Amino acid sequence: MTALTEQIALTRSGTSTRSRKGPSKGLDALFRAASYGSALLVLVVLAGILGSILYGGWPAFREFGFGFLTSSAWNIGTEQYGALVAVTGTLASALLALVIGVPISLGIAIYLTQLCPGWARKPVGMTIELLAAVPSIIYGMWGLFIFAPFFARFVQMPVSNVVEGLPIVGTLLYARVPSGVGVLTAGIILAIMIVPFVASIARDMLDQIPTILRESAYGIGCTTWEVVRHVLLPQASVSIIGAIMLGLGRALGETMAVTFVVGNANRLSASVFDPGSTIASRIANEFNEADGLQLNSLMALGCILFAITFVVLIIARFLTRRVKVA
Amino acid sequence: MNAAPAISASQFDGRNPADEHAPIRIAARELNFYYGQFHSLKNINLDFHDRQVTALIGPSGCGKSTLLRTFNRIYSLYPEQRAEGQVLLDGQNVLDANVDLNELRSRIGMVFQKPTPFPMSIYDNVAFGLRLYEKLPKSELDGRVESALRKAALWDEVKDKLKQSGMGLSGGQQQRLCIARTVAQSPEVILFDEPTSALDPISTGRIEELIEQLRSEFTIVIVTHNMQQAARISQFTAFMYLGEVIEVGPTNRIFMNPTVRQTQDYITGRFG
Amino acid sequence: MDANNTIRPAPALKPTRIRGSRRVADRTLRLACLLATVLGAVVLGSILLMLIIEGARGFSPLLFTQPTPGPGSEGGGIANAILGSLVLTGIGILVATPIGLMAGTYLAEYGRGSKLAEVIRFLNDILLSAPSILIGLFVYTLMVRPMGSYSGWAGGVALAIIATPVIVRTTEDMLRLVPGTLREAGVALGAPMSTVIRSVTWRAASAGIVTGIILALARIAGETAPLLFTALNNNSWFSRDLMGGVANLPVMIYQFALSPYPNWQQLAWAGALLITMTILLLSVVARVVIKPQTAR
Repeated sequence: MTALTEQIALTRSGTSTRSRKGPSKGLDALFRAASYGSALLVLVVLAGILGSILYGGWPAFREFGFGFLTSSAWNIGTEQYGALVAVTGTLASALLALVIGVPISLGIAIYLTQLCPGWARKPVGMTIELLAAVPSIIYGMWGLFIFAPFFARFVQMPVSNVVEGLPIVGTLLYARVPSGVGVLTAGIILAIMIVPFVASIARDMLDQIPTILRESAYGIGCTTWEVVRHVLLPQASVSIIGAIMLGLGRALGETMAVTFVVGNANRLSASVFDPGSTIASRIANEFNEADGLQLNSLMALGCILFAITFVVLIIARFLTRRVKVA
Repeated sequence: MNAAPAISASQFDGRNPADEHAPIRIAARELNFYYGQFHSLKNINLDFHDRQVTALIGPSGCGKSTLLRTFNRIYSLYPEQRAEGQVLLDGQNVLDANVDLNELRSRIGMVFQKPTPFPMSIYDNVAFGLRLYEKLPKSELDGRVESALRKAALWDEVKDKLKQSGMGLSGGQQQRLCIARTVAQSPEVILFDEPTSALDPISTGRIEELIEQLRSEFTIVIVTHNMQQAARISQFTAFMYLGEVIEVGPTNRIFMNPTVRQTQDYITGRFG
Repeated sequence: MDANNTIRPAPALKPTRIRGSRRVADRTLRLACLLATVLGAVVLGSILLMLIIEGARGFSPLLFTQPTPGPGSEGGGIANAILGSLVLTGIGILVATPIGLMAGTYLAEYGRGSKLAEVIRFLNDILLSAPSILIGLFVYTLMVRPMGSYSGWAGGVALAIIATPVIVRTTEDMLRLVPGTLREAGVALGAPMSTVIRSVTWRAASAGIVTGIILALARIAGETAPLLFTALNNNSWFSRDLMGGVANLPVMIYQFALSPYPNWQQLAWAGALLITMTILLLSVVARVVIKPQTAR
């Protein structure tokens, strides 16, 4: 049968030969190329950011060498610059933000996914998400004009009075000038800023856990606390840690809110109540008036910030496969 | 030894008999297909006759859909998939590198397992394929859209809402819309990939009727996991198993008188 | 010892004590979670309250007609800053939308499974969370330094760099939600890939893509740090070619809020109220737009 039909298959039947003029191939190729080029642009921009700050910061690294990292000097008159104070302030405020913000974020995520009555889930969730939309400069104003006076009066002053003279806490929690601004205030404002971010990712992660797992835990008589502690959190832990790292990335690079409340002092102090500065706040404060070595040093600070956030974000990215845009 | 066939002889009474002398429209020759390392079609040789319905049956994973997807080379969307051998459409090997894929696909239409209306109006859905290849004046385009919708037995249901979204139709209507969209391009061959598996029995019945009508104009290949359906609407049936064609022939012979043991087991429901 | 000989009932006290501590832990968790949520709502409420109280005081029609006053001079408005912000975010979103859309399309359509796409997706996520002040430094080096002047163009480009990764990400995510069969159906009709993308997949994902663009808009509308070294600010109407400092709300708010002049502070509050309300409105709109998408 095959041999017989072969012949027929190989001869064209009359009706089929119809020429069809296809759509333009050129446009198709052009579209593809534009899409490819745009994607490459992302790569170019990131390389450009790194390149420009490396280029700008190079003279400072060359001048001060490794000492740039360990020096706490920032003296415009003598042209001595070091990154220690800003780096310490950046790390300290961001870590404080995590310590304060993560439990709150998890609490909100757990409330929204496990405890909240159905009708309230949407509005409450929306409220938390809107916190993420508030511009950072508004957090700065709120921090400086509303929170700082309150904090000075009801926290800094009483705490300073209590701990004065005590070992360790006496230095850690003593405010020389209880102005309300300082590294801890920056940490608290940063905590508020990362909460909606971490909470919404954590909520999505908890939501993704199959209901059956939850139900089977409740089914053997677990309380909500036990379900959360032993079933949900372990299940989502890796992605939640990733979300926390993303929050850390934000806190490290946040500029405006911190600039308002960190105090902008170039001083290394053991007390979290004392003013300090972060890499971002120092760049924001000084860049426009800087030139020469000071400008190079600010660019060099930018390099350090880039390196720190890059590492944190890479870790975050490996922990959370894909999380939604906040 | 001979189990009662799942399909009774009465089902073939009065049906259009297979025309074994109809010219061959598509032919697979020494066709092999690979998903990455996995060899999923092995040395397929199969003919499809002009204006006949050929059903491809076989258990899940036997390669029937894969075979269908080589005819219009839709598999080439996925870089890890490749085909070797020949698929002849009117004597021309469609697997040749220099074949214009867009033109090929306008000559071989395809209807999918799930209805795939585009997110646009009913009218635009049908006109989509027409606009690709021809610049038609509005009046002619209207006429072509109407005739396609009529061929798909959908015109009466949608003629007053052509501007509404195609997504708003019922599942069965959506599938007929997709058929109209395919028919509008006047292809030579239409491939149906389990076109009724997502539909209710009534919609399924209408689609089957439709396929029967379309046979007068188009060469049709249909993949189905429903043996009754194959028996009802096809003139030829090919039974596939593990990437090979086990048996092929006129549908009534395959169902009433299978010569290969595996075919018999499958159609009597002993496996698959 | 002799206790072993008799069958004892389980000690009555212990289980209840366990049950009690379990209940305490459970209650504590519920309370803590509720408090955390209330805290979030209180902060948002207090921010809005602050803005409304302080901002409303300075609200007058003059805000929208007068440019910002010089140091020490009375009155004035923020009209130049409002217009400047519109121009800067406009440039930002107009540049970012086509690039973001096309790059997202590459990642979701053309580059599926390719190594390059994976690298770009990764770097886009990094760029998405990169400190915005570094983007300011980049654009300063790229444009302000060579051109010898701050400019609205530099500000717009800086904002575009912030908006692009947001659009890339949402576009890709939304395109991935479009079922593959829809693409296959388009291709099976003989449509070239670019036609399928433009008239089928983009359309199917349109609600989500628009949401991404609105979110990007909301994100850059309040950005301050990258504008500090690019568009800077200006206390008068900016020039038509956008060269030199261009007034804008965020930097104006930053400078005026920390200034010693009461009328400047007043204007900062009014600007803060205006911009926050706009951004919150955009965010709410974005969430309403995305609804039909998730319903499907």
